[in-house]
Amino acid sequence: MGRVVGNFQSETPLHPKAREILLDAIDQGWSDPKKLTHQSAKARILRDHALESLAAQLAVHPSQLEIVGEPLLGNFFAIEGLLQPDDTLLYSATDRKEVFAIAQQHTKKIELSVDITGQIQIESLRDSHALLNGVLALQVANGETGVVQHLEEIIDSAGAARIACDFSTCGPRISLPMRWDTAFYDAKSWQGPEGIGLVAIADGSSWTNPLPHIGAIRTPSSASLPLVLAAAVALESWHEEEKSESPRLRGLSESLRRQISTSITDCDIAGDLDSSLPHITSLSFLYVEGEELLRKLDGGGFSVDSGSACTSENLKPSHVLAAMGLLTHGNIRITLHHGVKEKEVNDLAVVVKNAVTELRH
Amino acid sequence: MEQVNCLGRRCPQPIIDIAKAINMVGEGDSLILLADDPATWPDLRAWARMTGNEVRQNSSTEFRVTRRTQNVRGADQHH
Repeated sequence: MGRVVGNFQSETPLHPKAREILLDAIDQGWSDPKKLTHQSAKARILRDHALESLAAQLAVHPSQLEIVGEPLLGNFFAIEGLLQPDDTLLYSATDRKEVFAIAQQHTKKIELSVDITGQIQIESLRDSHALLNGVLALQVANGETGVVQHLEEIIDSAGAARIACDFSTCGPRISLPMRWDTAFYDAKSWQGPEGIGLVAIADGSSWTNPLPHIGAIRTPSSASLPLVLAAAVALESWHEEEKSESPRLRGLSESLRRQISTSITDCDIAGDLDSSLPHITSLSFLYVEGEELLRKLDGGGFSVDSGSACTSENLKPSHVLAAMGLLTHGNIRITLHHGVKEKEVNDLAVVVKNAVTELRH
Repeated sequence: MEQVNCLGRRCPQPIIDIAKAINMVGEGDSLILLADDPATWPDLRAWARMTGNEVRQNSSTEFRVTRRTQNVRGADQHH
């Protein structure tokens, strides 16, 4: 393993402000907020403030927000809580594997195809009966490619279907659409701590807890209070930085795409930058093995992610790239984090070019 | 029809091999690729789009590749 020159993997350290509050929160927020003691009252106030802050940043009402200690369970709540047994689940061919797993439990389901840019094909939403009694699982941005769906256009074509939005990759980089029923977030998308999922439920009366439950409890709110506080602080700080970082990262991504496409032949770049997150770039190089490329870049000190089969546990090619019709081998995913320098991105482009050229010989 | 046997080989090897072999046949001629890596079909389709050739799936492990272009850049011709 070489010296780390640049971290272009999706993982990012906890936001420094969140890290600061975390220790303090562990001291103050240990008590069960539901109990009546003085300590509990203090914890309750802390939790309520955090919830209010999170809700405000996500543009929802605090009463609409549930916090879940296992983020992917949040995605399950967001989708399954809207689904009645006879409903049809509609989801994209590029959605998360976990959504495919939910679909497997339902007899009525429709997988929506995507075009080569990763956009859901609106024509595939023409089954009006399914839409009448359907739930559309809408992955707002794809974690593998950074492709962002044309939300309003899709929702306009979705008839009466209820909309379960997955914001876990993009966070509040993308605003809630005009019409939505549930929205799922992961605090990691704003440099918050791991293990905090958030589910916004637009109208509580159209949602039911899909887990066995007694009484009125909506979701088991077992999330760790210190982590919730850290997630709230991270979101406030991240949101502020994102205002200036977003256009800067988009500029860097544009330059990265240009440098790669002009210096390396036979490369698939996933999605149009105009319809992608500013900070994620997925590249596939013809005739190159993903794992070898990853290792070469790592040797040069640059860590990136890969969606190629040889780097996945089950040796299956990325279903996302395959559904888009893109090359699945020789794939790397580059994530630009807040604060990344222009020189680092330029250096990475050179290292990628050299590595690909070498591997093709 | 000539066969390129890549059974048991992992991607991108089948694509590298077919790119080499396709230059050996005339324009409009076809080859059969045998390959069982699950990435073969998506990658073959992407290769055909990038290089302007034609591909068809006969079975889960058999593919027909037809040369439609002058010369396909192979793995070792990217200078």
